[in-house]
Amino acid sequence: MDNFEKHIRDHADQFNERRADKDKMWAKISEELHQAKPKVIPLWKRPLFRVAASVLLLLGVASFFGLSVLNNNAEKAQYASKELMEIDMYYKDLVSYQVELVKNNKALSEDNKAEFLSFMDELDAEYEVLKEEMQKNLDNELVLEAIVSNYKKRIELIENLLHLLNESKKQDEDDHAYTL
Amino acid sequence: METEIRFTHKAIVEQCKAGNSNSQYELYSRYVDAMYNVGFRFLGNVEDAEDIVQDSFVDAFKNLDSFKYESSFGAWLKRIVINKSINYLKAKRIPVVPMDTHEFYLTDEEPVEAGATDLDKVKKGISLLPEGYREIINLYLIEGYDHVEIAEILGVSTSTSKSQYHRAKKKLLEIINEM
Repeated sequence: MDNFEKHIRDHADQFNERRADKDKMWAKISEELHQAKPKVIPLWKRPLFRVAASVLLLLGVASFFGLSVLNNNAEKAQYASKELMEIDMYYKDLVSYQVELVKNNKALSEDNKAEFLSFMDELDAEYEVLKEEMQKNLDNELVLEAIVSNYKKRIELIENLLHLLNESKKQDEDDHAYTL
Repeated sequence: METEIRFTHKAIVEQCKAGNSNSQYELYSRYVDAMYNVGFRFLGNVEDAEDIVQDSFVDAFKNLDSFKYESSFGAWLKRIVINKSINYLKAKRIPVVPMDTHEFYLTDEEPVEAGATDLDKVKKGISLLPEGYREIINLYLIEGYDHVEIAEILGVSTSTSKSQYHRAKKKLLEIINEM
């Protein structure tokens, strides 16, 4: 580098003699910057997307395991309710048959019939509550027991009534024999 | 002290990256005059210099993420201004007299350097140079780039940069000596 070059380079800052119209230029720059489209960040680089992706993954894994567990449970539940339904059907048929018998029985007084049927209605109401409870809480043995005892009560009631019927029949027969 | 200055600087640049417009204005204020002078030296008039410098700041702020502190922010910004100026001149350039045709003006004798120390004369002389010569004189003497950098900026080989510079310098000294 010769003296001339050195001289110029050493005094290069003296070539910066102009002043920019700072405010006018900034006005244009800031206008451009605010017009500028929002920066495009690839989807997979957005922090929110990463969070969403992890949440989705977690949900996926959770639901996969959750579903398989639920499936197992559902099978059990189905099995339990199938057994229960069979029992339920058996008792229901039995009860309704006997209720029909009582209703059609001419030997029974209206009072006795009404009393018996009101008992049966009470038990029916109780049974509905238990059934709802059962749907909410399939594994509850207490509920199951309560349902069974509900049925047993009905049967007991019906048996008592039938016993009563037979008693009165016997009396009738005795009376008959007596007259003969 | 040096590190402290760099650190403050980095803090402002980081705030600008985050889109803080106060920091953008601060950075702009620090560099606008220097950049305006760079632009003016290349373009030779106020309007073009203002347009190019505005454009450069807008580009710089938009692409600040690509600035990785490999150089100072000023040097990075200056490269943007210079690249834009040269591209602008290239686009505008009417294919005037190719530089080679100037050669016959030039003698092999080194012009005398006497009187070349008057900076005002040098400034005037540079402004009178043909555009291509002015570019390379600005890049080498005033912006302080070496020939490798100039070759990169102008998209020519290093040896072309050197030979062009020497022609330009001869021409400049001739002009100054005639004053």
